[in-house]
Order: sequence, then C-alpha cells, then structure tokens
Amino acid sequence: SQMDPDAVSKAFVEHYYSTFDTNRVGLAGLYQEASMLTFEGQKIQGVQSIVAKLTSLPFQQCKHHISTVDCQPSGPASGMLVFVSGNLQLAGEEHALKFSQMFHLMPTPQGSFYVFNDIFRLNYA
Amino acid sequence: MALPNQQTVDYPSFKLVIVGDGGTGKTTFVKRHLTGEFEKKYEPTIGVEVHPLDFFTNCGKIRFYCWDTAGQEKFGGLRDGYYIHGQCAIIMFDVTARLTYKNVPTWHRDLCRVCENIPIVLCGNKVDVKNRQVKAKQVTFHRKKNLQYYEISAKSNYNFEKPFLYLARKLAGDQNLHFVESPALAPPEVHLDIAAQQQNEADLAAAAAQPLPDDDDDAFE
Repeated sequence: SQMDPDAVSKAFVEHYYSTFDTNRVGLAGLYQEASMLTFEGQKIQGVQSIVAKLTSLPFQQCKHHISTVDCQPSGPASGMLVFVSGNLQLAGEEHALKFSQMFHLMPTPQGSFYVFNDIFRLNYA
Repeated sequence: MALPNQQTVDYPSFKLVIVGDGGTGKTTFVKRHLTGEFEKKYEPTIGVEVHPLDFFTNCGKIRFYCWDTAGQEKFGGLRDGYYIHGQCAIIMFDVTARLTYKNVPTWHRDLCRVCENIPIVLCGNKVDVKNRQVKAKQVTFHRKKNLQYYEISAKSNYNFEKPFLYLARKLAGDQNLHFVESPALAPPEVHLDIAAQQQNEADLAAAAAQPLPDDDDDAFE
C-alpha cells in the first residue's frame, strides 16, 4: 500500500529539524554522495561536505519552529518535493529568523527516503 | 536612515551599517548607548534592529541610525537591503578569535560593493580579554584600505565614542569637530587593564611606522 505523502513529509520534517536542533551531525544519515545543498546561495555536494557545512555554522543551540509543510509527489521514481516555512530561534539572539527550505526526497531500496536536493534560505529583504 | 515606524529628527542623521562575523560583539556594542537602546525599533521584514544613537558635538547634535542584524550573518553574507543607503560603517572583529579578523576583507568587499566611498571604521573588540589571538601589531588591513582602526572593549566602554567621532568628523567634513558631552552609557561590566592596553596602543603606533607586509591576508591561515 502507498504511504500518504503528506504524512511522510510531515514525519520527515519533524525528524529533520529535531535532529538539526539536538544532534546536527546525525543529519549525515539523511544525505548521500549525490545529494546537493544550496545554503544561502552556497552550493555544496556530498554527504560529508553537507554535514561539514551544517555542523560548522557559528551557532550551537537553535530551535526550528515549523509554520507550514507542503508536499507533492515528484517524478516516476516516487520522489517527493517538500517545502517548509518557519522560524528559527538562535540561542542568544533576541529575534527569531524566518526561513524557507525545500527538500527533494528520493526513495531508498530499503523503503526509506534520502535528501537528494536541499535549498535553504533565510527570508528577509 | 530611520525605519518607517521610527521617529525622525531635525538635526543631521546618518545610516550606520555594522557588519562583522557573528559573536564579535556588534549588538553588545550598540546596546551600550542607553537612549539608543530605549528607542530602538525592530523591522521583521528586513530582519534588522535600528538603534538611534545621538551624540552632542560643538556643531550641534548628530544621530547615527545604527543598523544591527538579527543574526543573519551567521548563515552567510547579508542582503543588499541591509547595506543600501548606508552612509558610514563599522566593521567589527573579535581580537580573541582569529577567524573573525581573517573574514574582515570579505565584509569590507561586500560593504563596498553596495556602499562606495563611505567612511569606515574597523573595530577590534574584546581587548579586555587576557588571551588575545590577534595582537595590535598584526592588525594591518585598515592600512591597505584606508580605514580607521580602533581597539575597543564594548563591555568596559573602552573607546566607545572613538568610532562615532571619527565618522562624525568625516561626515561633517570637519576634522576639528568634537564631542561636548558624553552620551549615557551602560555601566562597565568588565575591568580593562589600562597599562596593558596602553602597551597595545603603543605597539599599534609602532607597527603603523613599519612597511606593510604584502602577504598579510595569508598571515592568518
């Protein structure tokens, strides 16, 4: 039976950001060698480089608050496009930052998903 | 430049852009000025907090609208909207964190791409901390780019007024302009070893008399 894409994307998003906020290095399990991240315009490829980027961000504690999650099935390979918007509170900062993030998830042979494309932007003028 | 929801004034006012790596003390620095702290406004669409800092000169009052980020610089470069219409700037680094000095050329380039020919002050913050990683004589970037450099300690108020006085003189085109009254500042939170800092200032003056090293951007690899 097909999984409900909305339920899958919601579960993915919750897992992704709780991992980001509590154990950033654990995000390695969600990317592969072909994965691409564009982080505030900087293009990064491969699980090692992506995790190196995310773990080297100059803040330790942070908390993502998700406002919206939208998803669409994508392509014949049962991929999934997930678009997230929300707020990000950094420890020591007075104001939360708004962000948007898009994930293109691809199925693994084991019946799970990995992040093939990931684009992150802060939302401010 | 004030925010749309912010009080404007009938004396000269200027948009001051503060840049530099996250954690170098930019917010701590602007928050020392107490009236600015009371009148600050946050604009969420730009993600900026604007502190109106007034100073009293022999030619009358002057206001700096100090633009401070909400931490976006921790993710990468800032948007043009942060720099645009900037009339003067402070680039901040942390003398206890080498990387923050190494990144000064990037901040300077980003700033000058939008704001051509504005007066800029380079500030080395946290000079109260005993274990400096960037010594006074190692700071040479300002000499290559014709910026003013000051050693500061936001938490002790050391040299707080200096960057503003330099910028006010440049903006007024009057090298004799001076402050006639000090703004109310938050009380010092740390003690600065004045003797040690006088030695730093002497080292800085001595270094200024030496020729510039040409590989100086690579000196911090």
